[in-house]
Amino acid sequence: MIRVQDLVKVYPGGTRAVDRVSFRVGHGEFFGFLGPNGAGKTTTIKVLATLLKKTSGRAVVAGYDVDRDAQSVRRSIGFAMQEVGLDDLSKGRDFLVLQGVLYGMSRREASVRAGELLELVGLADVADRRVGTYSGGMRRRIDLVGALMHSPQLLFLDEPTTGLDPQSRLAIWEHLERLSSDGVTVFLTTQIMEEADRLCDRIAIIDRGTIVAEGSPAILKGEIGGDVVHLTLADRGENGHLIDKAASLAAEQPFVRQVESVDGHLAIKVVDGGEAAPQLMRNLHDAGISVRNVTVSQPSLDDVFLKHTGRQIRADEASEDEAGQLLKAFLGVKRG
Amino acid sequence: MALLRQTFFIYLRNLKTWTAQPATLLTAIASSAFMFIFFGAPLGKLTLLPGFPADSYQAYLTGMVLVMTVVFSGSDMAMVLLTDILSGYFDKLLLSPVNRLAILLGTLAIGATRALAQVVVIILIALAFGVRFEAGLLGVIAIVVATTTFGVAMSCIGLVLALRTKSVQVTMNSWLLFMPLAFLTTAFMPKELLSGWFEVAVRFNPVDYVMSAVRAVIIEGWVWSAILPGVWVLVGMTAVLLSFTTWQYRRATA
Repeated sequence: MIRVQDLVKVYPGGTRAVDRVSFRVGHGEFFGFLGPNGAGKTTTIKVLATLLKKTSGRAVVAGYDVDRDAQSVRRSIGFAMQEVGLDDLSKGRDFLVLQGVLYGMSRREASVRAGELLELVGLADVADRRVGTYSGGMRRRIDLVGALMHSPQLLFLDEPTTGLDPQSRLAIWEHLERLSSDGVTVFLTTQIMEEADRLCDRIAIIDRGTIVAEGSPAILKGEIGGDVVHLTLADRGENGHLIDKAASLAAEQPFVRQVESVDGHLAIKVVDGGEAAPQLMRNLHDAGISVRNVTVSQPSLDDVFLKHTGRQIRADEASEDEAGQLLKAFLGVKRG
Repeated sequence: MALLRQTFFIYLRNLKTWTAQPATLLTAIASSAFMFIFFGAPLGKLTLLPGFPADSYQAYLTGMVLVMTVVFSGSDMAMVLLTDILSGYFDKLLLSPVNRLAILLGTLAIGATRALAQVVVIILIALAFGVRFEAGLLGVIAIVVATTTFGVAMSCIGLVLALRTKSVQVTMNSWLLFMPLAFLTTAFMPKELLSGWFEVAVRFNPVDYVMSAVRAVIIEGWVWSAILPGVWVLVGMTAVLLSFTTWQYRRATA
């Protein structure tokens, strides 16, 4: 559905937002672009959706070249935007009907389709209220169904749940999962690891305009190297000698790759945590060392991101908060 | 055909957006009434000056209020477009497979509607102040058509400004750009009573030709020597600004 070859976008002023990016997205695939703010996600998606002209490279979307056949691309895709390009003064239903009409539906068709979609995402009750009165979660939902009015087979979503509360986020995810199972191809950008992990068949990690890793979430996490078993002992022994004993015991096991001891706590890297944990417990028990607590953690996409970029993605959310605080201060809004 | 249909629906949406904010029309009405009161009362005795062409200063002012109001619709329309650009709705329109021209036409059409509404309101206020339109009903219709058209021409400037700068600061202060156009004119006094650099500036301000023509229709009737220059300027400016805006718009949305 999407073929991108050596895509470059340089903004006037010289910012190289996207630098020789290449990837493919197949029919029915759920593909994610994962990266922090300013990584080039939105620029890429805007080029693919014909909102921005690329500097060089080749991009074919739904079988059409984005430069030569922009109108055909537009007809074939739906796009829910990060900025939530909504029309606050328009009523929810009117907004959808106009969307339908702009995509060539008759007013009657658009009206019927709008009714169905509003019902589907639980907005039927507020359909005749102005979009400006909607909550954050409702806005994302109306934006999403706005992009679905003409039943596109390819859907672009730019950070569909950034800034939403967990419940609203979950609601959007469920809609997206249903769309995907209906065969719609989805291209999504996100900086939320959990989102990429849960929804995407395949992801590309983008940082500073280039793709640094690509693959299914499971494979990418697999590359990080196995699970980690965390152990806390009931008794550390004198000068922590029990910890040292436990550590050397663990290190002798063939399935253990690495043992780290931090604050009387052992982090043991293993191939498969589910098999290793009971085995380790047994060994320690036989040696007379009792364990108070054991947990197994699997590598997350956070770890994947950290490995490929040397940075943590979460840092950006703090700066977003900061901007919000500044805005509030500027507007004279007081807390509490 | 598709272009007309798309234009119509985009226009309809713009119309709803406008009527959803009744304050904008109320402000326009109030400011027109204020101009009659605040300029009319202190300057009313100017009619006693030798060479002043009208007996009623309110009648003299009507041309100025009409033209000045539509000149500032340039600034208004810049804000209207900028609001859509900043909210991302403009992108949403560009994202759809509509003819790009439909978006521009739908926006210019709302500019025309807003100008038309303001012009009609001003004429009603003028009538309430006892202004007589010498050219009669036909003259009133001609004034409505001419000033509305001029409003569209001025909207073009505003649209290009919003499209090119995408800046709230520039757009919000764009009335400053329109101020000399509106005030370096025979707004308060006829050309014969002006002098020095001001008189020269007025002579080079195209807006004054339109204003003089409109005023002639109101206070003198069908005096073609005063009307025709205004008509040519109006037609010329509208043609140039429409072409320029279409060109700029196509470039910005290509």
